[in-house]
Amino acid sequence: MSATIFTLKPTVTHTVDCRSLTPDMLVGKALAEIKALRLGAQHTVADVFDVTGEDTRHIVFKQARTCLHHIGYQMKSGQITIEGDAGDFIGAAMQGGVLICKGNVGERAGDTMRRGMLLIEGDAGEYCASTMKAGTLGVLGKTGARLGYGMKRGTLLLAHVPATQATWLDCGWHTLPFLNILYKSFKALDSKFATLTQMRVQRFVGDVSGLGKAEILVLAK
Amino acid sequence: MIPGLRKSKRVTPKRKQCEQDIMNINGVQIDDTFAEAFNMRGTRVIVTAQNLKWAYNAANAMTGFATSVIGCGVEAGIERELAPDATPDGRPGVSILMFAMGSKVLMQQLETRMGQCILTCPTAAAFSGIDSEDQISLGKHLRYFGDGNQVAKLIPDTHGKNQRYWRIPVMDGEFLTQETTGMVRAIGGGNFLVLGTSQPQVLAACEAAIEAMKKIPNVIMPFPGGVVRSGSKVGSKYPKMFASTNDAFCPTLKGVVKTELDMDIESVMEIVIDGLTFEDIALSMKVGIEAACSLGSEAGIKRISAGNYGGKLGQHHFKLHQILQGNLAGATTA
Repeated sequence: MSATIFTLKPTVTHTVDCRSLTPDMLVGKALAEIKALRLGAQHTVADVFDVTGEDTRHIVFKQARTCLHHIGYQMKSGQITIEGDAGDFIGAAMQGGVLICKGNVGERAGDTMRRGMLLIEGDAGEYCASTMKAGTLGVLGKTGARLGYGMKRGTLLLAHVPATQATWLDCGWHTLPFLNILYKSFKALDSKFATLTQMRVQRFVGDVSGLGKAEILVLAK
Repeated sequence: MIPGLRKSKRVTPKRKQCEQDIMNINGVQIDDTFAEAFNMRGTRVIVTAQNLKWAYNAANAMTGFATSVIGCGVEAGIERELAPDATPDGRPGVSILMFAMGSKVLMQQLETRMGQCILTCPTAAAFSGIDSEDQISLGKHLRYFGDGNQVAKLIPDTHGKNQRYWRIPVMDGEFLTQETTGMVRAIGGGNFLVLGTSQPQVLAACEAAIEAMKKIPNVIMPFPGGVVRSGSKVGSKYPKMFASTNDAFCPTLKGVVKTELDMDIESVMEIVIDGLTFEDIALSMKVGIEAACSLGSEAGIKRISAGNYGGKLGQHHFKLHQILQGNLAGATTA
């Protein structure tokens, strides 16, 4: 079965709330039912996307732009791939599965995320991983201000050094064996994350203004 | 199992009964008898480290003092070496098999040995080595050693199934362990005896057998070097002793007790096997006996026998003739 593909229509300029388009929400639905789903008060899925495919366990957003918000909201399983950019709150309240964005994302990516993997190949906006509870969030591009604001637990894996924050404590450089297991899990993914091999990381622990049991791992160059 | 533990009224191998029962390999007589084995619970743990030296340091500690369930709680051994591409964290490692008479003891022993032998060993990590619906704690409780600084990671395996790992801060960095490992039904107490004309010759035959048996997966030979010399029988003249030396197989008592040995036998050693399935143990017995017999009667190896309790106690019978004829399935229950 091929993945269910949502191709964003070029004419769409308004913001689109995609929280109902997760593998869990679409399971068991026929293509016609999916197309008829409402995205807010005024639009249906068919108004915004061209939809093809039948495997709802893997969803692909094509020609995605920053007008798409809340992609992967509360998703529990399966995989979502975003080909392009995404708006705010992607992977917010995520509870499982894998969400890959091949472009940049807006603000509050991974907000209150509890479980699963959110992998962003581009840049992430402000408040990335805000109040995140657990899980793994990777960003290969740059990250905006207030990274990990109020983050409780979980791992932020970064390719670029973030801005210094008083509530994140530098624990120094380490070689962590668990990264090999994490990288192995990336190998199955069609993502730049599948090429990661760097075991050497700088570890920060925070956000100590709150629980302070989360970590930021910055990959060595 | 207790090596060679026998009822005092041990069944005599029917080695002189009739022509069709006689089997020999390279001049070594194979008794028409069977090894009697028991149901056990087993698990497999993969231990990795920075290099094989430290993986063995950890594994040797974990499988130390684990020769018999009677005195040690569990029977454990190193099953095989694992190349980096065969381990979860991409480092060299070894797999350990551990067996106990019940799930409770197995769980207790595994946790104790994890805490004292793997957690303590520099660079070592531990992972589940077997799938099962029954899961027992590997690092589930050990995580509290982290005193609140432990980190859980839920990471999908190659089949997409989420596995929970614990990263526990320790002085050399992080101790990484999977939360649980599988527990399966297994068999313990497969065995055979090597009888020969001198101690060095019997030991050489046992060493050859162990080398061959180490290549068989899913089994361990838990005694020192895989070989045991102190087979025992049930009971003793001393009331407080529940087991004592297997006098019927002690060469120095040939003239004193009702012996199982001919006058030319001066040494007997036993190889005990625990395994995940009947076929695994049967195959290891086959290759072990064949390797021992490859030295031949001219090298002083005279007989191969096996230990049993008359067939009334153990659930599994490993019949030597059937196994050596290639019938590895055999009769599994008494």
